[in-house]
Amino acid sequence: MDTNKVILGIYEDPDHIYDATKKLIHDGYRVRDVYSPFAIHGIDRVMGIKRSRLTVAAFIFAMTGITLALTLQTYVSFFDWQINVGGKPFLHIPTYIPITFELSILCTAFGMVACFFYVNRMVWGKNADIIDIRVTDDLFVVAVDVIPNKTNIAALSELLKSKGAIEIREKEFED
Amino acid sequence: MSYESPIRDMLITGGKTYSDITKEITRPIENKPSKAWWIGFGLSSLVLALWLFSTTYTMLVGIGAWGLNKTVGWAFDITNFVFWVGIGHAGTLISAVLLLFRQKWRMSINRSAEAMTIFAVICAASFIVSHMGRPWVAYWPIPLPNAFGSLWVNFNSPLVWDVFAISTYFSVSLVFWYVGLIPDIATVRDRAVTKARKFWYGFFAMGWNGSTRVWHRYEVISLILAAISTPLVLSVHSIVSMDFATSLVPGWHTTIFPPYFVAGAIFSGFGMVLTLLIVAREVLNYKDYITTEHLDAMCRVVMLTGTLVGLAYITEFFVAAYSGVEYEQYAFINRATGPYWWSYWIMMGCNLLAPQVFWSRWARTTPWFIFIMSIIVNIGMWFERFVIIVTSLHRDFLPSSWTMYTPTIIEFGILLGSFGLFFFFFFLFMKFLPAINMAELKSIVKTKHGLELEKHYTDLLNNNHKMANNAHDTKGDSVHGH
Repeated sequence: MDTNKVILGIYEDPDHIYDATKKLIHDGYRVRDVYSPFAIHGIDRVMGIKRSRLTVAAFIFAMTGITLALTLQTYVSFFDWQINVGGKPFLHIPTYIPITFELSILCTAFGMVACFFYVNRMVWGKNADIIDIRVTDDLFVVAVDVIPNKTNIAALSELLKSKGAIEIREKEFED
Repeated sequence: MSYESPIRDMLITGGKTYSDITKEITRPIENKPSKAWWIGFGLSSLVLALWLFSTTYTMLVGIGAWGLNKTVGWAFDITNFVFWVGIGHAGTLISAVLLLFRQKWRMSINRSAEAMTIFAVICAASFIVSHMGRPWVAYWPIPLPNAFGSLWVNFNSPLVWDVFAISTYFSVSLVFWYVGLIPDIATVRDRAVTKARKFWYGFFAMGWNGSTRVWHRYEVISLILAAISTPLVLSVHSIVSMDFATSLVPGWHTTIFPPYFVAGAIFSGFGMVLTLLIVAREVLNYKDYITTEHLDAMCRVVMLTGTLVGLAYITEFFVAAYSGVEYEQYAFINRATGPYWWSYWIMMGCNLLAPQVFWSRWARTTPWFIFIMSIIVNIGMWFERFVIIVTSLHRDFLPSSWTMYTPTIIEFGILLGSFGLFFFFFFLFMKFLPAINMAELKSIVKTKHGLELEKHYTDLLNNNHKMANNAHDTKGDSVHGH
């Protein structure tokens, strides 16, 4: 980021912030992020956020789980120590299915959620760099980058206001 | 943007705004608990003490403290285990299956139903561990390299599958529940006034900031978690049923068991969700959030699944008759007319007949009546497991082994006590965590702008109707062709 300064437009209504964001992007402003108390459907597409690759991660973890489970069961009951239980076959893939299934789900859930935390830089005890304390309650905030010598703050504020912003203010990031 | 239906009524009543939801859902966390909460929590703690006593007594004395014998080796304990695992199933069903089907009414109830899943599975696991007799070796079903002559677990055994199924179910449900809680924990964090609250909710909120990028990923993983939890919930109770179905005991050895157990699990789980929610909406005063429409929807599920298990009971009888296997036939005749006939008819009455009252709209929307019905469903489903386990076992292949099973007072103590364990956790949950998913609920509330839109569409729709009617009047019968 070549700027630390943002203009915040604060809204009460998800539809208004949706329209505002759409207009901002259309007019060539750089929207840093939109913060909301719940997921506003469609705004991610307006902002041009690419579809998350967590689905791919989930698939890879599922495959890992399957491989792990099949390897474990085959190794244990066929290669390492065969136990004769009522004459049942030592290598019996169909009876391995339930555990393979369960372990694939287990790996998918834990692996995918761990990746989710990683990409969001979320960790227990982390201090929230929350933009406005009310975004977890009832307000919606759009943060627009102020690029020095380029962004016309007055025009930007006017645009935010015209879309129904109840409050407009500046914020500087420390980093 | 979410689509707002101009015709359907809102899922929650009282014209709530976003901040109303925040305030009202966080109220129990931010204020001193009410008298009703203290009474409930105190009672559950007392009953929990009974559980601790009975379980400790069993540990000290051994399984001899129970009434089981060589013939009926699985008795009260496994009945309770299957009962509690079944209860757990409604939570995942509500949060995962209903999410996939886009049933938005789940949003008021999924959080507490998921909590119920977790606590019910804890109760179930406690029965397995105590049934082992030597709980300190409870890790033996885990395939670990060991010093007992390289013995590994037997992967052909459904009991081993069950270990994997239940532990996966517990951990995945916990992850699903926690991920869903993070935005709401962040809400509590940002409203916190005390230092302790700020610290603990801040700790578990993991720095949640409500960014759209995070929400986008959050939606993706919620959907995948729902998609994997759906087959998981079906698999878990199928595997529990295979503990029975893969054996040769007449009355257990049937292929209908997996779907029959899954339907029964959903049935009993919804019964328990209803019990809990009717209490919660009174104690926490959430009547606007958990409306009679929610109760209505759940009662329909109870009726459907109750009828399904009823169908399974009858199918079992038919299969036994049609198979021509006399042992199988005897097992079923003995269930209905043998020494445990009363348990069979309690099961039939509570599970098949009683839920039929929900054909009536009055029955589906009257909380006190639903509360009684939900208790009846719980009793019926407990007896279903008792019937399956005890009546199938007490008439062994060898008539010389035939015996009766009578539970001891300790076993009753553990059963009753497990409800204490369950409600102890549930009351703590109601006090310390948002009992309703605020973030999701806010997404279905209509804003002022939304309400204007709604009015606009309703007017439009009415106009269209008027126009259609006018057209009908002028053109007469020709309109019927459409």
